Amino acid sequence: MAHGHTVKRYTGIMDWITTVDHKKIGILYLIAGGFFFLIGGLEAILIRIQLWQPMNDFLSADMYNQVLTMHGTTMIFLAAMPILFALMNAIVPLQIGARDVAFPFLNSLGFWTFLFGGLLLNISWFAGGAPNAGWTSYVPLASPVYSDTHGVDFYVIGLQISGIGTLIGGINFLVTIINMRAPGMSFMRMPMFTWSIFVTSALILFAFPALTVGLAALMFDRLFSANFFNPEMGGNAVLWEHIFWIFGHPEVYILILPAFGIISEVIATFSRKRLFGYSSMVFATVLIGFLGFMVWAHHMFTTGLGPVANALFSIATMLIAVPTGIKIFNWIFTMWGGSITFNSANLYAIGFVPTFVMGGVTGVMLAAAPADYQYHDTYFVVAHFHYVIVGGLVLGIFAGLHYWWPKMFGKMLNETLGKITFWTFYIGFHLTFFVQHFLGLMGMPRRIYQYLDGLGFNQMNLISTIGALLMGIGSILFVVNIIVTSRSKEKLGADPWGDGRTLEWTIPSPPPEYNFLQTPLVRGFDALWKEKMDGNKTVTPAEPVGPIHMPSPSILPFFMSVGLFIGGFGFMYHQYIIGGVGLLITFTCMILRSLYDDHGYHIEVEELEKGVKA
Amino acid sequence: MAGNHSNTAAEGKGKRHRVEGPQKHIVAYIFSILLTVLAFATVAAGEINSTFTYILLVVMAALQVFVQMSFWMHMKDRGHLLPIIGIFFGVFVVFTCVVMAEFWVWW
Amino acid sequence: MSAHSHVDGQLPHEPEKATLEGRNKVLAFWLFLGGETVLFGTLFSVYLALRGQVLEGNPSANELFDLPLVAAATFILLTSSLTSVFAIQAMHRNNVKSMINWLIVTVALGLGFLVLEVYEFIHYLHMGHGFTTSAFSSSFYTLVGFHGAHVILGVVWISLLIGQVYKKGLNTVTAPKIYVAGLYWHFVDVVWVFIFTVVYLMGKVG
Repeated sequence: MAHGHTVKRYTGIMDWITTVDHKKIGILYLIAGGFFFLIGGLEAILIRIQLWQPMNDFLSADMYNQVLTMHGTTMIFLAAMPILFALMNAIVPLQIGARDVAFPFLNSLGFWTFLFGGLLLNISWFAGGAPNAGWTSYVPLASPVYSDTHGVDFYVIGLQISGIGTLIGGINFLVTIINMRAPGMSFMRMPMFTWSIFVTSALILFAFPALTVGLAALMFDRLFSANFFNPEMGGNAVLWEHIFWIFGHPEVYILILPAFGIISEVIATFSRKRLFGYSSMVFATVLIGFLGFMVWAHHMFTTGLGPVANALFSIATMLIAVPTGIKIFNWIFTMWGGSITFNSANLYAIGFVPTFVMGGVTGVMLAAAPADYQYHDTYFVVAHFHYVIVGGLVLGIFAGLHYWWPKMFGKMLNETLGKITFWTFYIGFHLTFFVQHFLGLMGMPRRIYQYLDGLGFNQMNLISTIGALLMGIGSILFVVNIIVTSRSKEKLGADPWGDGRTLEWTIPSPPPEYNFLQTPLVRGFDALWKEKMDGNKTVTPAEPVGPIHMPSPSILPFFMSVGLFIGGFGFMYHQYIIGGVGLLITFTCMILRSLYDDHGYHIEVEELEKGVKA
Repeated sequence: MAGNHSNTAAEGKGKRHRVEGPQKHIVAYIFSILLTVLAFATVAAGEINSTFTYILLVVMAALQVFVQMSFWMHMKDRGHLLPIIGIFFGVFVVFTCVVMAEFWVWW
Repeated sequence: MSAHSHVDGQLPHEPEKATLEGRNKVLAFWLFLGGETVLFGTLFSVYLALRGQVLEGNPSANELFDLPLVAAATFILLTSSLTSVFAIQAMHRNNVKSMINWLIVTVALGLGFLVLEVYEFIHYLHMGHGFTTSAFSSSFYTLVGFHGAHVILGVVWISLLIGQVYKKGLNTVTAPKIYVAGLYWHFVDVVWVFIFTVVYLMGKVG
């Protein structure tokens, strides 16, 4: 029936705007996330230049607040999460043997809402000042009384719009992983990366609605004079802290769990060994996800919740060290006795393990509520979360990008440059943040734009700034590596590492738009490795070659997001007509989507055979 | 495409299926109405210990919602394991939020 | 696998689950409802935290709420949930006409609920209970208003679906949409059960 449909297929820029192909959307996420990563990195460098010597006045106090706020917000919401979404889009459907995600259209919508939310947030720089109340946006600092520019308005509306995209992505990947697995791919045969994305998506689903409510309440306070967080009118500022961290703590596990998944894949592949303790890894991942919802108040020990609450949250937080420790030991045992290849991907992965342990240890220190009264709001905390987020997540992302780059683009990143990048970044990272532990213990508070001479902070701040510059050089080298690689003409086969274990290494690099010519039959964990051990070249297909159904491209997601963008702008400046027009665009696109059935199109067998030869 | 374990049960069920009548839904409706009337009556009568009333009201609401979700949203039927997990985990998170609101906002 | 294999022939029983697309949609919607649970749960906890924050001279929950009005709204919404069950049952019997009729009844009851809610809000405004009056009033209007917005969305959505089914008929593409809208409507009703319990009845008690 659908065979008769001719679907317009776009080329060039229109192809990228209308695409519903998860691999292309993954690349879009990577470009956008990488762009925001560089912006956030630039902001970090500005912070470190400001702090390189006592009483520096490179940035004004207010400018420093803006840069600091935007560094945190950009890195978490607009750089780290999108790059993770890039990897999950590019890899998860391939790992489970699927031709696409469950909702290709929504996948595209998720990307465009994220992008327009992020752009809205960054436009604030040119519209009277960026948000300046910290990435946690605590009230009363973020209330209209103490923050009278439009900065925090951009924060609440920009994050609200990009949050929609994240929530859509989370639901999409949950359904994809539950319903779209290839025959034989049971839950306990899923690769570790897929498992970690599964749990991460569940965390997104249950954590982001809390942020939605918090942002909505703050927006009502700021734009419509509501009183949620205004103590004069009976509101309560602690309530915002609670809501923010009920979302915020699961959020940090949303960030780190995919990194755990990536590391598990990379270490197993380059140790040429099965991942040690697979089922305990799965169990630990699920347990971390679950416990992640019961520890939020450890960010608020000094708020004064009382000994009972502090004790409860202290113990719950320390409990998380147990599943995390299981993972660390499993990675070490995976490497033990393996034949390890030290290429750049694996260097990042191996470098991750001790760095993350350090971040974890300081985490347990911070979890001890009485001790936290000393650490709270000092550079010790800054050092801790940069050890887990940069030393954990960013190293994980770099490992994943080096590992899957050949699958995503068909070209291997330059190894020499990759190793230089790794050492520059890794040494720079430890230079920047290791000394900050001691700065914190000596009493240097976080979020200050100047410090006095003679407090003993000078040398360590200088070291930290030098380290930050090294990290900056490392990031630029990675961009150079991408450019160098993109100019090479090499063509890679399906399994360029030679040691691929999972299904993504059974199909060409980069994969054709339909991923699998024939849906594979999965006969065990590490499906490709099992076949290799059984003496087969590749996995057995589960179906004959036949016409493949594909979803049609659509411009609607783009316009829906543009509508939200315009609407957000309108409401921010109390231009309700513009706001209404924006929402109208979005709703019209939704109705159009509902009215016109997407029959998609089929790629016929003859076309498929041509594709295989090429 | 295979692999959708949660839904294979729903497919198999089709063969044995009898068209279900409206009776049990009407029973669920009457049950809901009764609980609602009881809740409103409890409050309208007044002069009962307020802590007891709170607990009674929440229990009756939970009971009513349980019946509606089981019958009207078919959560009692086969193939609904994932919806049950999803809703229950949501309820768990809500529970932590309510504990927060009751004990850790004002002190 | 294809979404179109049943268009010509007899519709299967439970047409909403006949295709992979349909099953994906139903599962995704259930997960979405899990997220909505957290959304409303957070709104409820905000309300619970702020419900005592009435400023001097402003009406308290006990003075504001009018139980007969709330009881009427509750009765209407509960009944609409039942009629949407009948619509889904009609869909399973492949009786399009009956399904559309029950959906129209559902939408009409939803509109009735909205009329009562608007009347109620105007009444409160006259009593000096505006959105910006106090933390209590802000959290009250936000919680009940979010629910009201869900009802409005449901009414518009189901109305559009009625038009769509009227034109295209019932098939494996439209059936999941109807089923999912039914789930949504039940969920809105379930949230209301907690609103009348936690907001109105508890507000009357203490």
